[in-house]
Amino acid sequence: MEGFSALLHGFGVALSGYHLALMVIGVLLGILVGVLPGLGAPNGVSLLLPLTFTMDPVAAIILLTSIYWGALFGGSTTSILFNIPGEPSSVATTFDGYPLAKQGQATQALSYAFLSAGFGALVGVVLITALSGWVARFALKFSSPEYFAVYFLAFASFVGLGGASPFKTVTSIGIGFALAAVGMDSVSGSLRLTFGLDQFIAGMSFLVAVIGLFGLGELVMTIETGMKLEGIRARISPRAVFETLLQMPRYWVALVRSAAVGCWMGITPGGPTAASFMSYGLAKRFSRRRSNFGRGEPEGVVSPETADHAAGTSAMLPMLALGVPGSATAAVMLGGLMIWGLNPGPMLFIERPDFVWGLVASMYLGNVVAVLLVLTTVPFFAAILRVPFAIIGPIIVVVCFVGAYTVASREFDLWLVLAFGAVGYAFKKLDYPIAPLVLAMVIGDKAEDAFRQSLIMSKGSAAIFWSNPLVASLMALALLLLFWPLLGGIARAMSRRARGPAA
Amino acid sequence: MVTRFQAELATASITAAFGLAVMVGATEFGIGWVKSGPEPGTFPFYMGLLVTVASIGTVVQALLSPALRGEAFLDAGQCRTVAAFVLPMIAFVVVAKLLGLYVATALYLFGSMLFQGGYRVWSSAAVAIAAPVVLYLVLERAFKVYLLKGPIESALGF
Repeated sequence: MEGFSALLHGFGVALSGYHLALMVIGVLLGILVGVLPGLGAPNGVSLLLPLTFTMDPVAAIILLTSIYWGALFGGSTTSILFNIPGEPSSVATTFDGYPLAKQGQATQALSYAFLSAGFGALVGVVLITALSGWVARFALKFSSPEYFAVYFLAFASFVGLGGASPFKTVTSIGIGFALAAVGMDSVSGSLRLTFGLDQFIAGMSFLVAVIGLFGLGELVMTIETGMKLEGIRARISPRAVFETLLQMPRYWVALVRSAAVGCWMGITPGGPTAASFMSYGLAKRFSRRRSNFGRGEPEGVVSPETADHAAGTSAMLPMLALGVPGSATAAVMLGGLMIWGLNPGPMLFIERPDFVWGLVASMYLGNVVAVLLVLTTVPFFAAILRVPFAIIGPIIVVVCFVGAYTVASREFDLWLVLAFGAVGYAFKKLDYPIAPLVLAMVIGDKAEDAFRQSLIMSKGSAAIFWSNPLVASLMALALLLLFWPLLGGIARAMSRRARGPAA
Repeated sequence: MVTRFQAELATASITAAFGLAVMVGATEFGIGWVKSGPEPGTFPFYMGLLVTVASIGTVVQALLSPALRGEAFLDAGQCRTVAAFVLPMIAFVVVAKLLGLYVATALYLFGSMLFQGGYRVWSSAAVAIAAPVVLYLVLERAFKVYLLKGPIESALGF
């Protein structure tokens, strides 16, 4: 297997004192970001991205991915100890994690969560190691129509699998693409959608959008629900962790199933949140102890956590190999790669193998570092949540605005982040999905280029999207996913009719 | 009280207006076909159309679900809480524009701790002074990222 030799080379790149130090800093910052309400993984990565503009890309991506791992772990900590999900993807962990902690088993609950999360992440990275080279080589055959079909597939699966209203998902996607088009058009050089405003000429940064949508929007949501923290004290003893580790094999079915769900949802852009809910739902349906779910069942902690982290890590696979991110955070990182002057997609594996495999190797190391750090620092981070919200809230607000300003040093971005905050709040409350908007903003230009190039190749005929078996099957799969909700509705209606009018 | 129904309609109307604005803005650059390929306005135009149509879909869906009319979106108490959080935030941006981000940070933190958190003057002041100092050290000293400054900093010689 060439993956292994490449991976060994990657370890050579990643294993340096500087990189390990970055991992530790990244994971700690990530846990902090994950623990604090209103700051999540996409946000943490967006806030730090401007500080990496001058760094070496390998070091920069190690720092950012470590923040991502840390944030995933931090989100679970608050779910279990405070019944407050620090991240949307750890909502499902509250269902059984908090009851378990309340029964005096906080250490066990946390250990179950972290260990199964580590397992899920490991499965995700192994999958990346095994498949990414292959996917990238396959993707080298792609030209513009195939790329457009892949982008279309990504967005279609948001509509079909996302669970939100299809109209709302489409609204979100369209807004993202429209915002991406604002400013200089890279092909014709014309200044589009500026409506005569100078501020729009440079375009809109997706980083500002993420900080507003996820940061300020979520913060206002937190305020509105009223912050009541009833934390459970936890001190983690090595013995309890070890005992929990010995218990883990008992949940092997849940672990394997959840890892599979997570990897699937991470590669198709369903994302970690959908993965954790789906995995919890499946566990509840098929477990032998299903009556205990919701009352502190360890399997109810293991399942969503494994899926959450498996999805989080495997979301990096399509980002690296195809240039299509599988989650909002991966989308932000993809934007980062482009800012650092890298070209995500199959060519990256040929042009910068040191970057790709250094990153993959750092994912192994980063997750080990994250499990160790999160186990040792839980009491410290739990203490941070006891700082009253009247101090923490405004500080987070300042961090968001300062972060938005550092993106491009533009005053106008301060207003923009405020506007995106309002949009984020309204969208969250009304169940509009936000990740598709961010994804569309990041890959908007690339998708549009692929669309235009394809039409130029075919002299304006849309038939090019059906011109060979590869692009045709991608498009067919995309259309199937796009109309999935509709097909499901028809199937339900038909079965209802079959049962007769009595029902 | 704002009902969920009203909020759905208002949001969908705004997104529909956004979609229409994009469509109008895109026609300026042509949405047809020229020799070199599709004109620059084509792709944004169809995205605007997509947003407009989907927004209408959301409106229709809202009209068809009577349950939304009774569901609360924001009650009076929540309205006050949210306003108490958002209005100082807007003031923060205005002050940042006039006096720079450092001064705005100090004033904003001082104000929200003192008036909303009910902290004493000295502890509010301590946080309000410490935060900009930390920002300065981390951003300008360690990472060479410069924040928006106002007349007060230039008077102090920064």
